[in-house]
Amino acid sequence: MPKPSDLLQGTLDLLILKTIARKPLHGWGIAKRIQTLSGDILAVGQGSLYPALYRLENQGWICADWVESDLGRPAKVYALTPEGRRQLERELKSWNRLSSAVQLLIQNA
Amino acid sequence: MRIIRIIKRRVHALLYRSNADAELQREIEIHMQQLTNEAIAAGMTGVDARAMALREFGPIDQIKEKCRDTRRVSWIQDFVQDLRYGVRMLRQSPGFTAIAVTTLALGIGANTAIFSIVDAVLLRSLPYPDPDQLVLMFDVPLNRPDALSGISYRDFTECRGQSRVFSEMAGNTFHDLTLTGAGEPSIVNTADVTPEIFSVLNAKPLVGRTLLAEDGKKGAAAVAVLSENLWRSRFGSNPGLIGQSIALDMRSFTVVGILPASFRYPEGAPAQDVWISVTQDPLFGPLTSQPGVRLLGVLGRLKPGVPLAKAQAEMKTLSARLAKQFPAEDSEFAIRIKPYRQVVVGNLKPALLILLGAVALVLLMACANVANLLLSQATSRGREIAVRLALGASRARIVRQLLTESALLGLLGGVAGMLLAGGAVRGLQPFLPSDVAPIGAIHVGGPVLAFALCLSLAAALAFGLAPALIATPANLQKNIKEGGERTGQRGGRHLRSFLATTEISLATMLLIAGGLLVRSFALVTSVNPGFDPQSVTEAEVSLPQFQYSTPQQWTAFSNELLARLHALPRFTDSALAAPLPMDRQGQAAFAFTIAGNPKLPPGQSTTANYATVSPGYFRVMRIPLLHGRVFSAQDSPSNPSVAIINEMLARRYFPNQDPIGRQMRFGFPPNGNVAREIVGVVGDVRDVALSKEPGPQMYVPFAQAPLYGGEVVVRSSLSASSVAAAIRQAVHSIDKDLPVTNVASFPDALGQSISRERFRTLLLGSFGAIALVLAAVGIFGVISYSVSQRTHEIAIRMALGAERRDVLRLILGQGAKLALLGLGIGVVFALLVTRSIASLLYSVSATDPLTFGIVAIVLFGVAVTACYIPARRAVRVDPMAALRYQ
Repeated sequence: MPKPSDLLQGTLDLLILKTIARKPLHGWGIAKRIQTLSGDILAVGQGSLYPALYRLENQGWICADWVESDLGRPAKVYALTPEGRRQLERELKSWNRLSSAVQLLIQNA
Repeated sequence: MRIIRIIKRRVHALLYRSNADAELQREIEIHMQQLTNEAIAAGMTGVDARAMALREFGPIDQIKEKCRDTRRVSWIQDFVQDLRYGVRMLRQSPGFTAIAVTTLALGIGANTAIFSIVDAVLLRSLPYPDPDQLVLMFDVPLNRPDALSGISYRDFTECRGQSRVFSEMAGNTFHDLTLTGAGEPSIVNTADVTPEIFSVLNAKPLVGRTLLAEDGKKGAAAVAVLSENLWRSRFGSNPGLIGQSIALDMRSFTVVGILPASFRYPEGAPAQDVWISVTQDPLFGPLTSQPGVRLLGVLGRLKPGVPLAKAQAEMKTLSARLAKQFPAEDSEFAIRIKPYRQVVVGNLKPALLILLGAVALVLLMACANVANLLLSQATSRGREIAVRLALGASRARIVRQLLTESALLGLLGGVAGMLLAGGAVRGLQPFLPSDVAPIGAIHVGGPVLAFALCLSLAAALAFGLAPALIATPANLQKNIKEGGERTGQRGGRHLRSFLATTEISLATMLLIAGGLLVRSFALVTSVNPGFDPQSVTEAEVSLPQFQYSTPQQWTAFSNELLARLHALPRFTDSALAAPLPMDRQGQAAFAFTIAGNPKLPPGQSTTANYATVSPGYFRVMRIPLLHGRVFSAQDSPSNPSVAIINEMLARRYFPNQDPIGRQMRFGFPPNGNVAREIVGVVGDVRDVALSKEPGPQMYVPFAQAPLYGGEVVVRSSLSASSVAAAIRQAVHSIDKDLPVTNVASFPDALGQSISRERFRTLLLGSFGAIALVLAAVGIFGVISYSVSQRTHEIAIRMALGAERRDVLRLILGQGAKLALLGLGIGVVFALLVTRSIASLLYSVSATDPLTFGIVAIVLFGVAVTACYIPARRAVRVDPMAALRYQ
């Protein structure tokens, strides 16, 4: 049986991209924001955010830099790369397709 | 763009790994701090808040590992980590490392050294284009297919004209000529060739030209091509030398070209200084018109794609045609061809392959030893490995780590081995047999280094894999239950015993092979050659034939020279002879007939080795006179021809008769049919090689059969160098243009004649010694380890009343059992293997029981002694302490 985190991994990636699309954020900020939007996804622990961030960074969708932050000391702040922005659009599209398909399925079932 | 960013990031991660780890740590720390702050703000105490933050965040270490995993470079990092870990392990146990690296260095070094010789002799291609098209041609008597001889000038010309399978064909022979004019008179190695040789071998001149077809015609102007070496050393690289003339045997030759130093034919022969047409040679030139004189070595280049069999078939047809056309000379002969490469390396190949095989066994033993060491080490690391397996490391991962360590050891051993090989090759250079030495510089070059590297890694895999597999058991639980200390012990113990037994059997084989050669060499060097070489000096004097053309001049010169030598103080005795025993240029054999004996059936002949000697020869060489008299000054050309025979000839051809006064017909052509009265019988002399039994020999007085020179032998209490100087002075006081060459003390010359035997004995002997040491270390390791594992058992035995003697017997018995098993297997294999070196042995059988026996006793003794040290330790076990510890 797949673990919830596996199921939700794609969703988590999408949420991260979406979150930092508006403005660059550090890990703590991303976690807070995702938690306010949807508390369940990070239920396994806020720490699971970081492997996702590292993976996205390795794929080149996002980039990070240590800058002065609102936390009172330098923090690693993540921002979308141009490729990341395009990737976000693609993912949003496919998410929309999927959710409308699921929507349709549920309505007609 | 994205790809570049990804690559940059991965490289960065790889290079600044610790940096990246610190960043991750900091990032997580910030997050934790925020979570803690939130919890405190919600009213929790510091400790509770931290615990809360941890719960919220999740398992930090797992998360970190997941982050690291995203970098996808972990296999390289693992490798670097393994390497670092390996280095640390090796440094932690320097004793183990030193023994393992030394063992491997011995094995790899010996292999690399031998391989460098094999590479130079067997593998490096011949320095001619398309060498596989080159074949040598020989005339072979129909009734003795093994007696290869040269081809007559006429038959060569016929073959060359009629053959369709050869693109070109050339003849050559060699003759030492005297070069005079520029500086000291000297002997120059001269190649007498037909001009085609340069196109067959594709030789391009450095300056000027090589010989043209016209230069080979009879009556053409005398021209010469010089070697680059001679041109540089003798003529100061003067480019104006072309067109000038030089004097060879007092005859003028015009220099037309210089050949580069790299050109040499045949490969492996002493370098030639001068090339002239065979028709211009003072000795061979006139012989080219005698169709019965088979003077030319013939080298042919097959047309591309022509198989050897086709060429051989053509030669068969051609031989038949020649036999019909010239029945007088050619009816009893056929022409045979052999690939050039086969002739060059043919006689070296078996000995080299034997050495290569022997040295491979040494490496095998070294690997077995290191495997044994690793096994003991891996076993003592059992607990560590078990814990790592329990913590989730995969078996493959740990095997990989252990193999990395092995590879590290292998490479260290390889590097040390290459250094050793470099030294060994330099050290061996003076011992190289004279026919191997000139084949080309033997050096540790690219292919040899590649060989050593592959060998190191292969060895690492060989000695590392089994211990690594045994150290990482499939059944983990059992291991942990047993405290990990007995990891793989059962399989390990069997493997260890197996390795020790194998080592002893390999050592047995090597020692027996080495022992046989050493014994054979000892017999060869202690053999009585039939003469006494001590305090004898030899020197070669050769008379230029244009100047000294008549036998009367030769005799006059030799008489004068001997008279001057006799007059010198402390020159006990001196004589002139040609050839001497063990002469570099070989012995001359002539057919003879005995007057009064029935005529031999046609096709059969009796032959004996022939030497022409001055009267003092038998005194100088201390060859005993058995009957009759030796030669005297009375045996001059005007008196009846006389001869002296050796004991072997007397016994074989005059059984139960007195040979004194009988007559034999033989002689140096054209005096082949001169009747000579036997006046004396002397002792047998080993003249071909120290390892060859003497055959029938006949001597004639130099005055009755003079030659244009010969070997001067002098018995004197003076040092060889002062004798040499005196001989030179005496020769030059008669004629300042005469060269004196090949001056050597006779014992040195004898040593040179057995350089091959000495070389292989030295090598196989050292392999045997290395093998003995390795085997001793091997069995010592096994028994030591076994003792350390059986401490508990021994303690119980002693507590139950076993005497020290019993314990000693127990441990030694274990070692002796291994040693006997190994010996038994080794002797059986040795019986099979030593047959291959039978041809290298002199008067020792390949199954010589004495050698087998001594080797068995020595090896058994060494093995038991090696076991005695750990056995003593076992005896000293204090039962109380041992049991309490356990």
